Amino acid sequence: MSKINPLFFALGIPVVVIVILVAIIAPRMGGGGKFAELTPFSVDAYRKDWATLQGNSYRLDCQVEQQLAFVEGRGRVLAVKPIEKDPTRPSGRIPIFVPAGSADSFEVGQRFKCKLRVTRDLLVVEALERF
Amino acid sequence: MRHSIFSLFGWCALTVLGFAQAPPPGATVNTSGTAGDYKSSTAEGGADRVFNVNSDSVDMENGTMQWKGTTMNLGNSRAVRARFERYLAAPTDNGDMKRYVALLDQIQFLLSAQSVNQDNYYRNQQEAFNLLFKAAEYDIDANNSLTIASQVQKIWVMKQEFRQIEITKNQMETLRKVQEGIVINRADNIEAANDARADGGSKAKPLGKSSGGTTELGYKVKDEARTQAQILAKDAEMLALGLKAKIEFQSQMVSFLMARRYRHSLITSSFYRVLFKGGSQNIVVGAKEVKEFFPISDFVPTLESFDMLSREAIKDTSKGMQTVDDLVKQGELYGAFERLQETFFLGEFEPVVMSYPQEKKREMLALWKDLRELQRLGDERDLGSVEGYVNKVRGRARDFPGAPILSKVTNAMNASNMSLLSAKGAALAGDNAKAEAALERAAKIWPQNPGVKDFATQVVSRQDTLAQKIPEFDRLMTESKWRDIYNKKLEYALALAQDKERSEKLRKVVNRVGELDANIQKASVLATQNNPYLAWDVIVEVYKTESDDIVLAKTRSDIAPLVANYAQLIGHAEKLEKDGAEAAALTAWLSAQDLNPASPACGAAVKRLAKSVAESAVIRSTGTVPAPPPEPAAGDDVPVPAKK
Repeated sequence: MSKINPLFFALGIPVVVIVILVAIIAPRMGGGGKFAELTPFSVDAYRKDWATLQGNSYRLDCQVEQQLAFVEGRGRVLAVKPIEKDPTRPSGRIPIFVPAGSADSFEVGQRFKCKLRVTRDLLVVEALERF
Repeated sequence: MRHSIFSLFGWCALTVLGFAQAPPPGATVNTSGTAGDYKSSTAEGGADRVFNVNSDSVDMENGTMQWKGTTMNLGNSRAVRARFERYLAAPTDNGDMKRYVALLDQIQFLLSAQSVNQDNYYRNQQEAFNLLFKAAEYDIDANNSLTIASQVQKIWVMKQEFRQIEITKNQMETLRKVQEGIVINRADNIEAANDARADGGSKAKPLGKSSGGTTELGYKVKDEARTQAQILAKDAEMLALGLKAKIEFQSQMVSFLMARRYRHSLITSSFYRVLFKGGSQNIVVGAKEVKEFFPISDFVPTLESFDMLSREAIKDTSKGMQTVDDLVKQGELYGAFERLQETFFLGEFEPVVMSYPQEKKREMLALWKDLRELQRLGDERDLGSVEGYVNKVRGRARDFPGAPILSKVTNAMNASNMSLLSAKGAALAGDNAKAEAALERAAKIWPQNPGVKDFATQVVSRQDTLAQKIPEFDRLMTESKWRDIYNKKLEYALALAQDKERSEKLRKVVNRVGELDANIQKASVLATQNNPYLAWDVIVEVYKTESDDIVLAKTRSDIAPLVANYAQLIGHAEKLEKDGAEAAALTAWLSAQDLNPASPACGAAVKRLAKSVAESAVIRSTGTVPAPPPEPAAGDDVPVPAKK
């Protein structure tokens, strides 16, 4: 019976745990996770010419800044701040529309991953996930 | 107001002419010489009351002088001024004043009671008479001594006539007595003849002439009566001559006193006292005038009354000139001028006045001219120039009381300006009658008020401009050139004062541009305080209604470079909204709000667009894109959970 060095276990187990955790968290941190297959939403492109984005779906990671309007049975308009990879170049707030069917609650400061569809010039949230 | 102005100018005139009270000279009565008659307590008490020196003053306007409480007429006011001015300008009289005065004193001494006696009665008269001719050689005497001499000579001649008449009268009396004797003799003869005839009547002689000589007696009586009448006529002639001489002499004495030739009056009085008997010493001529100096009911004027007045005047004059000298030495030229003026009119011909040094008179003359100019300015109500002249006079005479004059002038100016303001207000209100009255009042108080002139010019030109201003105003209104109207608002206000409709339009324009200017000012202040975004908000808001205003456009162009990105965002947002892209517009507004979080305009736009987007989002999302859940039925707002 071969003897395994106990040091191997002492070092190996934490390494395996770390590898597993990195495998789980890294995709999320790197924009992956839910809606990872979607193209990230470009605020600049939208501002420049929203018409070219019509009909497309995008992924947007954002933080709720303010609820601008709420119409019972219709939905709400939120002002959100996109979470940028480069925080030195913030792109400013944009309005998104959350239809009334969503059961989520929105508080200022909450972060969401959203699936957006550009309907004419309106950014309609089709699905979202809090993170 | 009118009363106060008149009193102002009256005051100015009084001040300028220096009608101040005389300095109080000694008020004691000279009791020396022949003035012993005044030692009675009544006369002294009267003199104390009479010689109220505070009443001494000169009134140039009326040409009178108050002295001892009595008004002395100096003649025409202009002539009085001219005489005083001539005195100041004229060179001082040459000659030995002291010798002249000594001569006059010598004449008086020769005729005085202490000098004349039984022995030298005629000699002294002759000596005094001779000295009169010497006194007349002096220019200052102006030959008045000759007048006295001729008067004296006339009395001497009259006395000669008196003696001649007396001789004639005596001769006539002798004749009358002879005639009387003849008459008596004839009467006795007739009586004797009648008696004899009566005794022999029984002898029955034939009837014949009963008595003879009655006719002759009648003639003799008539002769005697005629002689008696001639004597009485001579008496009357003597009486008339005496009275005439007395009146003439007294008249001359009064004339000298009234002409302020006091020394000549004294000499005339002395001669009178010597030449006329004691029964003729009462005053006939000038009694009324002398009584005015002595307001005592039972006062009886005498020769000594004249003497006392003359001596008092001489003493006052002398004291006045001493005061003038003292004031000049102390540098109080104005006071000195006033005293000199009073003293001059009291004792114009007194040697001490006539010998006043020329250089000092010249100084007074310069002050006199300035004062007259100041008076002229006051008379013409040229209030604007008064201050300058008051300062000029002050520079010449430091004791000149200019402050009250300036104070009253300032008050008058203010009153005039207030009336002018009232006139302007009335004119703007369309009350022409009130405006005219107020303008007249302002002009009356201060005729040369520059404001009056300007206002009058405006009123005159108003009628001319009215025809131009109304069409011009209408054109600018049509072209919406509010700023142009605003810039000429005063002119239009005057021109359109009577036109209520246009005035109302003008008022609205003025308010509009005033509000616009306030906003522009606000924007400028915000930009200055490093808050260009808020300034831009103000500009943008105002620009919506006043886009044609030049001042606003300039301010806008000044601020625009400071807020280029902000302005661009807002412009972009407005364009998007106009194109119907409300969500994109909302995005732009949010970006703008990020730059200017305090902007009310951004806040309002975001709120408005967000609500609009929320309300129209369902409609927008219809079509090919996935639609959000359809609008639930009423009361079905909350999604129903899935049934198990």
